[in-house]
Amino acid sequence: MNPPSFPAPTTGAQPWAGLKVVERDGLCSSYATRLWAALGAEVVVLEPPGGHAYRHLPPFAPGTGEPEGSLWWAFLAQNKRSVVIEPGSDTEQALLAAADVVFDEPAPPVVAPSPRHDRQVYVAITPFGLRGPRANWRGSDLVAWAAAGLSYVTGFPDRPPVALSSMNFASHVTAMQALGAAMMALFARKQTGRGQLVDLSMQQANAALHPEVGVPLVLDDAVHRGRSGNRRAVSRPWGLYPCTDGYASVIIVQPAHWMNMAAWLVEVTGVEALADPAFNDMAVRWEAAEFIDAMTEQLTSEMSKQDLFVEGQRRNIPITPVNTVADLSRDPHLEASGFWVDADHPVIGPHRSPGAPFSGGPDWWSWTRAPLLGEHTDEVLASWTAWS
Amino acid sequence: MEQSTRPLEGLKVVELSIAIAAPSCGRMLAYFGADVMKLESLQYPDVVRLFGSAWARTPEYAAVFTDTSPYLPEMNANKRSIGLNLKVAAAVDAAKKLVANADVFLTNYSTPAVTDLGLDAATLRELNPRLIYAALPAFGSDPSLPYYPFISWGPNQAPLVGLDAVTGFPDQEPAGVASFAPPDYFAGLHALMAVLTALEARDQTGEGSWVDLSQFGTTVAALGPYLLDEQLSGTVVERTGNRSAWYAPQGVYPSRGEDRWVAVSVTDDAAWQGLAAVLDLAGPAATGGDNGFAADAGLATAEGRRAQHDRLDAALVAWSSGRSAAQAAVELQAVGVAAHPVNDTEAMLVDPQLAEYRWYQAVPSFRFPDGDLVGGCALRLEDTPGYWEWAFPTMGEHTTEALASVAGLSEAEIAELVEQGAAYVPAEPELTLHRPYQHMLGLLGLKGAPR
Repeated sequence: MNPPSFPAPTTGAQPWAGLKVVERDGLCSSYATRLWAALGAEVVVLEPPGGHAYRHLPPFAPGTGEPEGSLWWAFLAQNKRSVVIEPGSDTEQALLAAADVVFDEPAPPVVAPSPRHDRQVYVAITPFGLRGPRANWRGSDLVAWAAAGLSYVTGFPDRPPVALSSMNFASHVTAMQALGAAMMALFARKQTGRGQLVDLSMQQANAALHPEVGVPLVLDDAVHRGRSGNRRAVSRPWGLYPCTDGYASVIIVQPAHWMNMAAWLVEVTGVEALADPAFNDMAVRWEAAEFIDAMTEQLTSEMSKQDLFVEGQRRNIPITPVNTVADLSRDPHLEASGFWVDADHPVIGPHRSPGAPFSGGPDWWSWTRAPLLGEHTDEVLASWTAWS
Repeated sequence: MEQSTRPLEGLKVVELSIAIAAPSCGRMLAYFGADVMKLESLQYPDVVRLFGSAWARTPEYAAVFTDTSPYLPEMNANKRSIGLNLKVAAAVDAAKKLVANADVFLTNYSTPAVTDLGLDAATLRELNPRLIYAALPAFGSDPSLPYYPFISWGPNQAPLVGLDAVTGFPDQEPAGVASFAPPDYFAGLHALMAVLTALEARDQTGEGSWVDLSQFGTTVAALGPYLLDEQLSGTVVERTGNRSAWYAPQGVYPSRGEDRWVAVSVTDDAAWQGLAAVLDLAGPAATGGDNGFAADAGLATAEGRRAQHDRLDAALVAWSSGRSAAQAAVELQAVGVAAHPVNDTEAMLVDPQLAEYRWYQAVPSFRFPDGDLVGGCALRLEDTPGYWEWAFPTMGEHTTEALASVAGLSEAEIAELVEQGAAYVPAEPELTLHRPYQHMLGLLGLKGAPR
């Protein structure tokens, strides 16, 4: 069918081995390039002498600081190579020119960038895209949530909208979209022999998560979508319910799941009316929201979130715990599934990180610790620019 | 301009899916030209078909109600619908014939469910060694794992993977991400990466692969730095409202009107000087005090500003409350501060950047020939762009043609399948529909050819 995307060293190696990727300073490609690098792509991060932006972000490992101790960097730079380079220098230009793929986050005022050679894929990531009246507007994770329609529907109706602002989640979504676009452009290159520019907007990347409250829906039923706290204004039980050590999520749509839940509620509360078949209709449960919520809370408030999870699932009811990072660190399923990968870092010490998000071929994934500042400068300059 | 060839033209994908996670991946593949054949059952329709339109809940539309959901184009634009009742053996055989000639099988059915149907990885890969079998069950495909039999879907993955606990204000219970399901889309993006990686591997080795993606694992990883922090220091990250661990000030501030807000992030010290000048210029009446922010050396760094975040918030609230959200954002952007109105859905429709990129387009479909609204795809390839050809398929719309051309069945064999209820063709093929907002499409600039 198609030839490989690039001259791969040997068959059976990691799928993206031999692909040269350059990542310039910025927050919105790192999440995905970490994974691409783990699948074999040679990802070189061009760092200014002061270090990449993520090196400066807290939290830091205990007893450490910038530039090596940031846990953002320790996580997001795994598997990559660090090259320290003066922005705008000839050497920087030579490295950019050697890449198959470049991820760039140009600052305003943005001049539409272009690939450095015919076969290069150049992914320009900006808050709002390269064209249009707000092409030069500045952005952030919070601003992306706001502009993508996601903040407005998150939070309680009597409080301001909220976002996952401390998580950089919008940046990670953007990174995954950027990676998909880059890979897609490499498939186009197989057919055309040519690279191209990718115009990746952070607003659009996150607007792709909007359909459940989206424009087609709201125009069709003319119902304004607002914030509904931690329970969705669709049916009951649908949302978070308090338990002995936090909260559990109980979201029931299918009649069979409700019947299982109703049986359990009757056991706990003794209120036989809950078994009335009328409640099998989620619309009827929504009309009786206060009653259903009160009964559900009576059940959940007596148990821990993990017990609710396990016992609920045993009864074939879709209940999940509201996990904190501490819960997830100890989660038995993640532990048993080999989710964690170990690394040892000269400054941070031994630690473990989330590993492969999916399995594939036996040799697809490999993991290394985050690089020290400039750790690969000499090596990469020698191997990438020797011919130029 | 001459129409370019899209990167995935010629790729055949069979999708057995529900809701968002796998469909959102298949939709991106279809946008770039893949022939995505979605297997659909009339007896057990995809849940997005069950959210039909309120206006269509009448007897006259009963037979086509599952074609009216406005969610359909959002998850299934450009796909083909192959109506098969997989509870019937003959339909499963037909599905296998499709898969035998396909490149990718994409599913987010649970592993026990696909195994019961005889469409498990081992069976299909034996049938077609070049096949990429991409599965996205909630908890992976390994029966020995603790949560393997558990049921889960998008909305209750967010609490499970740790997103809900960190969403909201520190002084109240978690707000959670209740209105939409980030883990579904995040899993779909990982699935896109997995499928394209497997295709690349196949181009090198000639062999397909089995991609097994646990939705649980994909989104937990988004908390990476905080998982490391908990592990190394015991710190459990808490809810911070809209505040950032590094930018200050940052928040969502009220603006003129009912439930109108502007989001503001001061991402560096230069941006702070811009904001300080705006607030100082507005004066005490507009900011609640004679602040002298620009000259205050204590506020020159993010650390200093974080220490006085409440005071800065108060000044910002006083300033923003007197302006429209758009005006506030324009004034702040003019001085280099990241700011944007908090868009509600109605604002998304008229957002100037989304309009510039034609994010929403009216695209025809079998049931809505005058066009139905499709939201965009963020993957903007300048030279070989994707595009929408139809908004969504009607249930069973492509059964006949796909079973003939891809599965290689004869006309008589297909007729027999339809006759015995193993395959479906569209109900009431003559019936076409219009959205209530149809007359506004021209006015909103949403009509016309895609791209």
